[in-house]
Amino acid sequence: MSGVRVYELSFSYSKQEILKKLSFEVGKGEVLIVLGPNGSGKTTLLKCLNMLLKPEGSIFIDTFDVSKLNGGELAKLMGYVPQMHSPAFPYKVVDVVVSGRTPHLDFSVPSEDDYKFAYKILEKLGLKNLAERPYTQLSGGELRLVLIARALVQQPKVLLLDEPTSHLDLKNKVLVLKVLREIANEGITVIMSEHDPNLAIFADKLLLINSGKIVAFGKTQNVLTKENIAKLYEVNVEIFERNGKCYIFPIF
Amino acid sequence: MIDCIRAWRNQDSLFLLFVTILISVLLFITYLCIGKYYVLNLSVFDKNSIEHTILFNIRLPRAIETTLFGACMGISGAALQTTLRNPLVSPYILGISSGAAFGAALSIALFGTGFFFLTQPSAILFALIAITLTLSLSGFRGEFSQVSLVLAGMIVSALFSGLLSLIQILVEPEKTQTIVAWIIGRLHTITWRDVHTSFPLAILGIIGLLIFRWRVFVLSMGDEEAKSLGIDVEKERMLIILFASIATASVVSVTGIIGWVCLISPHITRFIFGSDPKILLPASISVGASFMLVADLISRTIWTFEIPVGIITTLVGAPLFLYLMRGVMHEWR
Repeated sequence: MSGVRVYELSFSYSKQEILKKLSFEVGKGEVLIVLGPNGSGKTTLLKCLNMLLKPEGSIFIDTFDVSKLNGGELAKLMGYVPQMHSPAFPYKVVDVVVSGRTPHLDFSVPSEDDYKFAYKILEKLGLKNLAERPYTQLSGGELRLVLIARALVQQPKVLLLDEPTSHLDLKNKVLVLKVLREIANEGITVIMSEHDPNLAIFADKLLLINSGKIVAFGKTQNVLTKENIAKLYEVNVEIFERNGKCYIFPIF
Repeated sequence: MIDCIRAWRNQDSLFLLFVTILISVLLFITYLCIGKYYVLNLSVFDKNSIEHTILFNIRLPRAIETTLFGACMGISGAALQTTLRNPLVSPYILGISSGAAFGAALSIALFGTGFFFLTQPSAILFALIAITLTLSLSGFRGEFSQVSLVLAGMIVSALFSGLLSLIQILVEPEKTQTIVAWIIGRLHTITWRDVHTSFPLAILGIIGLLIFRWRVFVLSMGDEEAKSLGIDVEKERMLIILFASIATASVVSVTGIIGWVCLISPHITRFIFGSDPKILLPASISVGASFMLVADLISRTIWTFEIPVGIITTLVGAPLFLYLMRGVMHEWR
């Protein structure tokens, strides 16, 4: 089966267990949103999937066992977009994006073709006019898209994003999500964490976690229920349906 | 001036690199010709002439060592600043240079200058000890805190400076003299022997860093992002620091401590090339070399006697640094 399969993934910091035997799978070209309250283990889960942390259990991308790959091999399969990025030097946007070619380069520098590819991806995300700008001067939404572009330049099968919509205004939230949908339509599996349950309807599949345990997992329409959301956040909610889509409001 | 350089930046980077190298070469030739004694005529090819002696026995080794020093300092500074994500870092601030100075002084104190071949290994050993100390003090395991790194470097630097002073007091007076002369920076006594000693390791350090020139840039994205781009962060960063330490120690063990070059060369390079990651490291080699050639040329010719080059690099470097910082500040926010 193609896509990502995770089986009994566990992780502990020293003695404290952060993730407890999570199992789930996402198909090729599907979008999975990991939903949970602050401190539920969303970021830790993404870092484990990307081997930034060393978890127990097994993770497969298509037929590849992630734990058996070295850093370069994994980077060809999986792109990672962090929640925060603090620029150290005012590099040009195109240079930042082309750094996504690194796993394909070994010890050489990027070629003309690599730069052409980076420009192509920038154009696709509507960022072409930013290519020559220092990336320290970008807005939050632009920077997020540039980091997504860098991950796409890796030509991954799976894209991991840590709260890609956080700190963005409504326009940029929608823009980022639209871009992610296009990416998924091209056959890349998208796994992202999110804290706003109202954006969950965007996903094909939902993984609800709290305290490192799965609260619910499955297709979005099956999982996005009043009971599940109330259980997840431990608050009372009201769910309104309109045109088959759910809107969630807390009850004070 | 700044607008002029901005216009430059839009040129092809490779073309700019070529121009920078050409400037270094021209400076090198000028350096050979100008001095207390102008060597501009054809008699340099006559083996018995005084021009020949001056050129081949005095100026050429000094020119090569000066170039080598600038090159090593330029590339080490650029590599360390980028890898450690900190524009204030330099081999001096991280304690590498003080470590190397202490190592060289220790070797002179124990064995005398007769065992010159021991000075360099000792300098490199202590350079590595110093950088290891700095990194472990600054909490190497996690993400670097820029402040803690600079603080740790200052502590280690002070520690080795203190130990160096202690050696100077404890050894015999004639050795103290050698050590002091050596600390001030002694480009004026450079001989072919010094060039032969520092050349192989300096080249090793430079080539090592050039191999990592792209990965240095990727490391500046931060640990987690570099890792997710396929970089073995801990291992590769250690190798880069190792090569930078080797390059620094190889020249510092011969010339002594000459300040500011390593800090300012990468900033000049970034100013000219605008942080182009492909070009930064190779360009800092020639920018560092040019800076040193000019500084030493001034030190040799500006006064009736020679002014130690360290004074010139500081007097030129400090205001230039200020100027560059003001010019590019808005890009750093």
